[in-house]
Amino acid sequence: MTQTNITWIEGAVVENEVHMTIVELSHASRTPEDLIMTWVSEGVLSPAGSSPQNWRFSGDSLRRAKTAAHLTHDLELNVPGVALALDLLDEIAQLRARLPRD
Amino acid sequence: MKFRDYYETLGVARGATEAEIKSAYRKMARKFHPDVNKEPGAEEQFKQIGEAYAVLKDTEKRAAYDRFGENWKNGQDFTPPPNWNEGFEYSDDGFGGGHPGYGGGFEGDQSEFFESLFGRGKHRQGGRGGNPRQGMNFKGQDHHAKILIDLADAYNGAKRTIALHMPVQDASGHVSTQERKLDVSIPKGIKAGQNLRLSGQGGPGVGEGPAGDLYLEIEFHPNAIYRVEGKDVFIDIPLAPWEAALGTTVNVPTPAGSTLELKIPAGTVAGRKMRLKGKGIPSSEPGDLYAVPSIALPPADTESQKEAYQAFEKAFDFNPRTHLKG
Repeated sequence: MTQTNITWIEGAVVENEVHMTIVELSHASRTPEDLIMTWVSEGVLSPAGSSPQNWRFSGDSLRRAKTAAHLTHDLELNVPGVALALDLLDEIAQLRARLPRD
Repeated sequence: MKFRDYYETLGVARGATEAEIKSAYRKMARKFHPDVNKEPGAEEQFKQIGEAYAVLKDTEKRAAYDRFGENWKNGQDFTPPPNWNEGFEYSDDGFGGGHPGYGGGFEGDQSEFFESLFGRGKHRQGGRGGNPRQGMNFKGQDHHAKILIDLADAYNGAKRTIALHMPVQDASGHVSTQERKLDVSIPKGIKAGQNLRLSGQGGPGVGEGPAGDLYLEIEFHPNAIYRVEGKDVFIDIPLAPWEAALGTTVNVPTPAGSTLELKIPAGTVAGRKMRLKGKGIPSSEPGDLYAVPSIALPPADTESQKEAYQAFEKAFDFNPRTHLKG
């Protein structure tokens, strides 16, 4: 029997180690940059940095951007609707995590 | 192949207006959207609703579908008659229901029934995909998939071979699914909902562009013993009434595979969490492991067991309902 050496792919944990530019976030969430800018202005995403070129999105932004993109696409929510839905979903997740299991 | 009654799926009459169909779809889509509804089965339901809406919102597809008449029922065996859609033209062959990133699923989640009637949807191109033009270099698409790992993997780190089903599009636009195996190192300390980015493991680049990235969203396998909340982990510790009243020492298994001794003080009350500091999911600031005591009542089956409960009653002047007296 021959032994093959497996190369294990090392990934980066997005939420801990990755800060994204608007270009990277747009690519990863499949969202146009102008829509991301609108989300920022509405408070859906809160990047560090003063101008879109300097924006650095924390890793957690990817999950929010993906959910925002799904809700926009599937339910045709407008931007304030997406912002409200995300806040409520976060709250539901926190409350659900506090529930004892059945 | 099973027939799909798209009107029944959306809960509308066959004569429903466009506005009624849209309203029914919106209502059900909000209810079953997988970002909103975490119940098992919601995602499948959402896909079916999306498929039904993709047909019924489209005048041409709906007219073609209506040709089958109303005698077909959901789930009946069905073969489309030859040339059934002659004379119909579809302005798009896409299917608007699914989107990338759900359960490892990508585009192309439609049923066999849908595909046989309207063809497979083209794999949606993200942003600037499309046909490569000469001299254009773009980064390949980023791909998303969900993977399930054990809680122990987050405690200890792990090496796992995972199988992903990736859509592959050929030159003529046909999409097929290929299994792809990846040997991935799961870093210690990863938490549910976090994403692992594997650089260059996404879609191939256009021209000289680099390959896209693959994002793996981490979920834990359901676990009968532990409940996880972020980096904190909870374990229920059932106690016998005398253990809770008099105190004891119990062995608490940790997800890492070790066992901790936990001192239960006398007078422990059900639900009063005991914190095992730093024994949650590891990281530079590790989470905590919480032991949540509950009181388990042994059944009084034999005579001596009944007597033991009666002795309890005699020994205590105990009324647990004093706060209820009106």
